[in-house]
Amino acid sequence: MLKFNIQKAFNNNAVNDNVLHFEGEIELSGVCTIFGDSGAGKTTLLRCLAGLETCEGQIQFNQQAWLNTNALVNQNKFLLATEKRRIGMVFQEPRLFPHLNVQQNLLLAVAKATTQEHSDNIFTIDKLAQQLGFSELLTYQTTQLSGGQKQRIAIARALLTNPTLLIMDEPLSSLDISSKNLLLPFLKLVSLHIPILYVTHSIHELFYLSKNMLLVNEGKVEAIGEPQKLFLDSELSLRKFAHQGLIVNVQVKTIDLTEGLIEGLVDGQTLFINTVEEPKTKSIQVKINSRDVIIATKPIMDSSLLNCLSVQLVDFMKDDKNSMILTLKIGSQFIYARITSRSFHKLQLEVGSCVYAHVKTMSIIN
Amino acid sequence: MLTAGDYQAIWLTLKLASLTTLLLMIMAPPLAWWLARSQTKIRPLVESLVALPLILPPTVLGFYLLIAFSPEHFLGEWWLSFNDSSLAFSFTGLVIASVIYSLPFVVQPLQSAFVHLDKSYLEVSATLGYGKFERLYKIIFPMLLPSFIIAGALGFAHTIGEFGVVLMIGGNIPGETQVLSILLFDHVESLEYASAHKLSFILLAFSMSVLVVIYGCLQKRQQRVLNA
Repeated sequence: MLKFNIQKAFNNNAVNDNVLHFEGEIELSGVCTIFGDSGAGKTTLLRCLAGLETCEGQIQFNQQAWLNTNALVNQNKFLLATEKRRIGMVFQEPRLFPHLNVQQNLLLAVAKATTQEHSDNIFTIDKLAQQLGFSELLTYQTTQLSGGQKQRIAIARALLTNPTLLIMDEPLSSLDISSKNLLLPFLKLVSLHIPILYVTHSIHELFYLSKNMLLVNEGKVEAIGEPQKLFLDSELSLRKFAHQGLIVNVQVKTIDLTEGLIEGLVDGQTLFINTVEEPKTKSIQVKINSRDVIIATKPIMDSSLLNCLSVQLVDFMKDDKNSMILTLKIGSQFIYARITSRSFHKLQLEVGSCVYAHVKTMSIIN
Repeated sequence: MLTAGDYQAIWLTLKLASLTTLLLMIMAPPLAWWLARSQTKIRPLVESLVALPLILPPTVLGFYLLIAFSPEHFLGEWWLSFNDSSLAFSFTGLVIASVIYSLPFVVQPLQSAFVHLDKSYLEVSATLGYGKFERLYKIIFPMLLPSFIIAGALGFAHTIGEFGVVLMIGGNIPGETQVLSILLFDHVESLEYASAHKLSFILLAFSMSVLVVIYGCLQKRQQRVLNA
């Protein structure tokens, strides 16, 4: 459990002080993602929680107080230094020590962790090197490595500190697809052992990794909850992200690599997805963009469309002057469709209408 | 070949330079760290004071130190309260003067390294569990080792070549204050050009070697680390 109520003041100029106020309580298991717009205060919140930024208020992690500046007059104010919080941290840039080689960088973390009370780390240099594929690089100078290689080593270094909480600030944002494909499943695996607090901009990383999310907007915690639920809440600032498209869970039924197609099931209905490789798991997540959904009152026949889903219209709202956003229910899941106001009126749609949502296979993001 | 007097002067000079460098390597790092990080209004004043020996004629510094060392003034009086002889014209006086005179040569390379040191390395060290001082000596010091060597070498070499200040406060006492540069001056005054040549060459070769090592190797290595 991570509980916090903190204020952080930025003295931008003498007249206008900018004060961020974050309050929340998160049950830490698996990955909890901190999500929000650029400049919303995600990184500031993360840095305050790590103790890298001075702030006022209270932070409590499990039974341990990390910060308490609101203490009564006769009590001492309390601040637990970063190095005593037993956190592992991965920054946007790898920040490996440039005067040391890869192994020496990792040994610095191990050396400190083994002097601590709890030295039973499940991660070792050899295991991590094997899992993250850097066994060959141990003797390399860090300046000889690529960005992806450096970040893998930075993640290993953070895990070797034997942390009770792993804090990650957009760790994959500057990496290529192959590095992301290696690291995302790895982080999911790590989160079974160590809770992760994860800042990201990416909706894919959010839905892939996290059970829980913390939505930050304009220097405040706007909401905490399951991503699937928060993305459907039209009252939240997430609306603008959500309206671009939603993530849907698909059970893989068959894979045809010659045609490059996955036949999957979304709550019992068939969905064809384009693929170039066999999926690693039986359950995959795909994104259906709202503008790629065609609504019809009858299934469209004799066309190139492969995907026709029977859906129910549960909500609609005007997005701007000319378009409507429809919330469509497929069993227990939802997708958004963005159509013109003219189409909306032509089809005489209303809440409760049962319609057919058609999605081009090639436009589904796997 | 060199005379016994020459060897005595070389030994004294090395002793003075080593002791001065040792004291400077203790004093300069915290001062340089403060100068690199502090935002207080008195920082420029302190920075100017430290840098003063770079442009002030050594004789001016020597003159003021001579006055400060005299028994009529606080420092000299305090010294005499537990010593028999005055600070002026003594080896200890030379060490104090050398520390002040060579201070900017040690502080400035360190200050520059600390300014260019990415603060994020300190943050990473903290998240790895290293405390405030531990992260400095276990991680930052090894990272900036070339700068520390450069600072020490410059302080040492600059003390070896010291002349004006020594002349003002040390005089020319063999075995006590007669350093290489003073002995060289002595040789020239006595028209002993052969001896002067030898000492000059030693000083020239030493200074050149120090600078070649600094510019040819250490500085590049430090730049590589700081720009990584």
